[in-house]
Amino acid sequence: MKPATKARGLDLGIYRCHVCGLLNDQHEQYCDRCHAKITPRDYRSLQSSWALLITAAILLVPANIYPITTLVKSGNVTHETIFSGILRLVHADLLPIAIIVFTASILVPWLKILGLGFYLSAITFKIPISKRKLTTGFHIIEWIGRWSMLDLFVISLSVALVNMGQLLDAQPAPAATAFALVILFTQLAAKTLDTRLLWDQLDKNDDNS
Amino acid sequence: MLMTPVKPGKHCNLIVCSGCDLVVSKRALPSGVRAVCPQCNTPLYDKPYCALNGVMALCITAILLYIPAMIYPVLELHFLGSIRTSTVFDGAMAVWHQGYWVVGLGVLLGAVLAPAVLLCSILAQVLIVQTGWYRTKFGRDTLNGLLRYHGLISQLSMLEIYVISFLVTSFQLSDFADVYFGLGTLCFTLLFVVTLFLQREYNLEHMWGYVGEASDES
Repeated sequence: MKPATKARGLDLGIYRCHVCGLLNDQHEQYCDRCHAKITPRDYRSLQSSWALLITAAILLVPANIYPITTLVKSGNVTHETIFSGILRLVHADLLPIAIIVFTASILVPWLKILGLGFYLSAITFKIPISKRKLTTGFHIIEWIGRWSMLDLFVISLSVALVNMGQLLDAQPAPAATAFALVILFTQLAAKTLDTRLLWDQLDKNDDNS
Repeated sequence: MLMTPVKPGKHCNLIVCSGCDLVVSKRALPSGVRAVCPQCNTPLYDKPYCALNGVMALCITAILLYIPAMIYPVLELHFLGSIRTSTVFDGAMAVWHQGYWVVGLGVLLGAVLAPAVLLCSILAQVLIVQTGWYRTKFGRDTLNGLLRYHGLISQLSMLEIYVISFLVTSFQLSDFADVYFGLGTLCFTLLFVVTLFLQREYNLEHMWGYVGEASDES
């Protein structure tokens, strides 16, 4: 694909509708096709995205510190955090499963929060860094983010299946809610952000050669 | 600032990237190829149409599979002679009743509600288009509303993650007890596969075209 120009839609007076993708002229207020309001840029999205991201980062602490499940096995009660659950899988020689759970519940949330934080700082503080690499990172974060839900699905199935009183019982614990909210807020942070704001910055070190 | 006096609808050979606002000229693509933005790699467009009959067939198959996938248990646990089974819905309700309704709601949305809404929405869209109903004002507005939330709903639908999750659960619990898959597991996996192909066949841009066509006529 070759760009027609190096111009932005904003310069040419062509606004892309954010709902249906139709190109509209700048003098129009509402999209011709879907009647959504046309906003050339959503500058406020940067702030909301920061707010959501910070909320998620704060919630990540209880999600990792508190136990996420409570297991009762022959009368012994054990509280499991996300990390100790993975360690148990490793000790049970279920390494592939441990890797899947590790990716979904530790790697992805941390990567998402750090990556998004980096991306947002690059916009806010105008850090000169390859926008192309940043955007690739953003696409990966956006795509992989939902996979954190894996842990919650596993918990819900375990809780429904394992309910034999003192003999064997699994129950969710406080971290589960915190973890669910981490996923919600990081996904929202990625979704609300208007990524065009990054590309609006002047090309100080142009990497489009 | 460059100003080109263009009338609406004259931008048909241009496309503006949703990720970085770059103006790109549109070209015909060979089948099975997706155009990405030369600047930021955001997908721009792919095949110009979708086979509505194919979409409808896949959609009806998915709806038929959805029913047993929800009714039959996806996992079965045998422990010291007692048997526990769980459907997807039971799983969501189990955590909900323990007081973790946020988690329960997440499971309910991702694995039960969003897929159902997604399938019904696609079926309704195809029916509106096939019957020519989208030319009336009400039909057009309905189609507009359905398409507007399509992206959100398809993001909320997490069938693929659920399929992996019952595999992970079965391995985790095999430590303590015997775990068996049920008919629900099969149906759920098939539902996931059919929905995958459905989403691959479905083309949102093509659907928006019908709304545009109807607005031009009116």
